[in-house]
Amino acid sequence: MSHIVKTFPGVRALDDVSFNLKSGEVLALLGENGAGKSTLMKILRGVQGRDSGEMIIFGKPCGDLTPQSAAALGIAMIHQELNMCGHLTVAENIFLGREPMKGMVVDRRKMNEETREVLARLNMDISPDTVVGNLAVSKQQMVEIAKALSADAEILIMDEPTSALTAKEIEDLFEIIRKLRSEGKGIVYISHRLEELEHIADRVTIMRDGKYISSSDFKDTTMDSIIADMVGREITEKFPKARCERGKKILEVKRLSAGKAVKDVSFDLYEGEILGVAGLMGAGRTEMTRALFGADKKDSGEVVLDGKTLKINSPRDAIKAGIVLAPEDRKKDGLCTRLPVRENISLPNLDMLSNLFGKVNRRKEADMVSHAVSDFKIKLPTPEVDADTLSGGNQQKVVVAKWLSGHSRVVIFDEPTRGIDVAAKVEIYRLMNELKLAGMGVMFVSSEMPEVMGVSDRIIVMCGGRVTGEMMAEDATQEEILRRATDFSRKEATDQ
Amino acid sequence: MKKQSIISDFLALRGMGQVFTVTVGLLVLFAVFSCINYNFCSERNISNLLRQLAPILLIGIGQAYVLITGNIDLSIGSVVGMSCMISATLMSHGMDVNAALAITLVSCLAVGLLNGLLVAACKIPPFIATLGTMTVCRGIAQIVNHNLNTDAIGPAADWFRNLFYYGSFRIGDFNVYNTVWIAFVIFLVFNFVLSKTRTGRHMYAIGSNPEAAKLSGVDVAATTIKAYLVAAFCSCVVGLITCATAGQGTMDAGNMYEMYAVAAAVIGGVSTLGGTGLLSGVIVGAGIWGVLQNGLQFAGAPVAIRNIVIGVIVVISVLLDVIIRTGQKKAS
Repeated sequence: MSHIVKTFPGVRALDDVSFNLKSGEVLALLGENGAGKSTLMKILRGVQGRDSGEMIIFGKPCGDLTPQSAAALGIAMIHQELNMCGHLTVAENIFLGREPMKGMVVDRRKMNEETREVLARLNMDISPDTVVGNLAVSKQQMVEIAKALSADAEILIMDEPTSALTAKEIEDLFEIIRKLRSEGKGIVYISHRLEELEHIADRVTIMRDGKYISSSDFKDTTMDSIIADMVGREITEKFPKARCERGKKILEVKRLSAGKAVKDVSFDLYEGEILGVAGLMGAGRTEMTRALFGADKKDSGEVVLDGKTLKINSPRDAIKAGIVLAPEDRKKDGLCTRLPVRENISLPNLDMLSNLFGKVNRRKEADMVSHAVSDFKIKLPTPEVDADTLSGGNQQKVVVAKWLSGHSRVVIFDEPTRGIDVAAKVEIYRLMNELKLAGMGVMFVSSEMPEVMGVSDRIIVMCGGRVTGEMMAEDATQEEILRRATDFSRKEATDQ
Repeated sequence: MKKQSIISDFLALRGMGQVFTVTVGLLVLFAVFSCINYNFCSERNISNLLRQLAPILLIGIGQAYVLITGNIDLSIGSVVGMSCMISATLMSHGMDVNAALAITLVSCLAVGLLNGLLVAACKIPPFIATLGTMTVCRGIAQIVNHNLNTDAIGPAADWFRNLFYYGSFRIGDFNVYNTVWIAFVIFLVFNFVLSKTRTGRHMYAIGSNPEAAKLSGVDVAATTIKAYLVAAFCSCVVGLITCATAGQGTMDAGNMYEMYAVAAAVIGGVSTLGGTGLLSGVIVGAGIWGVLQNGLQFAGAPVAIRNIVIGVIVVISVLLDVIIRTGQKKAS
């Protein structure tokens, strides 16, 4: 692939990226979240088109690929989220869409026979008749690899294949990757876990901000230079930062644990402070905020607000206590997309807007909504339009505006700037600063390091569900944060 | 330009547009049946027609509440039957009418509570949960009087029959039966709750996006239970109307009513996916149902034909809505 350009409305996702892969090698494709790795691979896989640039696969130039034509060329992708029909058997999944036929009916014998063969190649000991949903995640992943092999894939793209695996399972996966390499397959390996690379990577290609940065043989490079290439930008964007005296402690979270994703998290939050929560995807940051907010069950831990220990079993409890959350996924968690903007903004505030009998005072409501719209500069024809007709940035402002009118003490923003344009981002930063100046405690979860460093006063870094670092923003460097955000998984792997 | 957008916003809100469309449909139907048979639009028939459609309006209101929260209640018809049989059995055995009504109401609301708990707390898909209670309640309706329809509910219940069926208040010369008044008052109350109160907002919110509602501090379980209680209450009243109408309890009272309720709500623009719909739409939906039933009867169509026509109308009205909506989406 050379000189690939892909633009999305308002964003240049890929800018003149070139990339090559040889057969019989494992190429690690690295970069921060949003660097353009997934987009590049989607173009290769035929899921998305490209604006310009050319692709030469096995010596032949290819036009725009479709998923079908890409598969026919032998390109297969093992997805981060597994794409399997959980109710069907292993054999049915592997042959989905190209079932061997015997007259009118599926030739089950042949299908199972070939499934057994390909599983044997992977040293897998599972029956073709097993229902996929009953397998462990790692085994499901193997089935997905088996599916690719049985379709004669020559190029395998693995996107974060180890994120759900235990140390032992990772070892097995690496064994299989080495085996595939020796069979002459080309493998693109995308991972955030840099420490894994030494076990398998032959070459590394690094991307950043949609651009190609460097490519080198793994043995000729060092971990430090890889990290430097990944982050190596100067902070070019300007972040508004309000100075104010840090006040007394508002929130204290002690040894919070919830499920597999949050382990023993403790931190403090002060009045007039923005606490950045940095980390890579899957570090457990969203899960931590959800557990804190009562949206998910917590297993243990204590939340102390203004010196009082809180019992938070539901978001309702949290909101009553003064903790609010602007969630990460606007469409899924943040908005009732088919309701008017007005109702979305007033939904958490109906207690204040209604009388003893629960009748909503439409005048008060209209006042509050028009204040929110003008304060946040939300662009809309009228507040009566459905929330999903707004642009992403304006939707995000609505999600945040919902909470402004309340009497909150702690406001948690989970990835508030994802997918919105620069001007809208600055509005959101400005807003966080206003909350901070008003004496609230603000938590700011973000995967984009320049933004965390630019806006926060203090930063905690999470990795593998734990807090792995804490620093003042002025002392923080991108290298330091990235190291904290990745090193823990290595420690954990040796623990087990 | 600005004015136009305000009007189109108004029409888009909660499916107000479809309410207008079906109102036009209702008027057309009415005109057609009046042309076929002049007696159709006689005062006497209209007053009967209103009495016929009042129960459909009531169960439609109940179903609309549940549909707006993104669920469904299949037990409505059986609760109607249960209400009819419990009240009639108690009254025909000489129990004080007030006590009988109270017991009936409590048992119906208990079913509503159970439905709500099964769906909201136990997370059983509403279709399955209420399919279960539907079967159970029909069984209860059969067993309360040992698998027999009841005897007459007796002279002590005359005031009850008068209140729910015979009695009427005139508006000028026009005779409006009590059944219609009851339905209308209940409509006003629940329309107020749904359109003006906090609880109403919560109903739309959990139907539109339960996760966002939960994260906004809405008690999703409590709101779901309230919707099922409304459905059970409406079904209970319809059961009492049925009992007062016949003067006895019949075991198959309310048979298929859950489906008529879905039909009235859906024709009136309530989405089965939750989050949109208006009770004023349900009035029109129930109106179309009533006009079709009564009008086809006047035109001499047999029951079988009426069923077929109503079934077709339900599908067409939703199909029209889908076509209009996809058209709008493409245009924007």
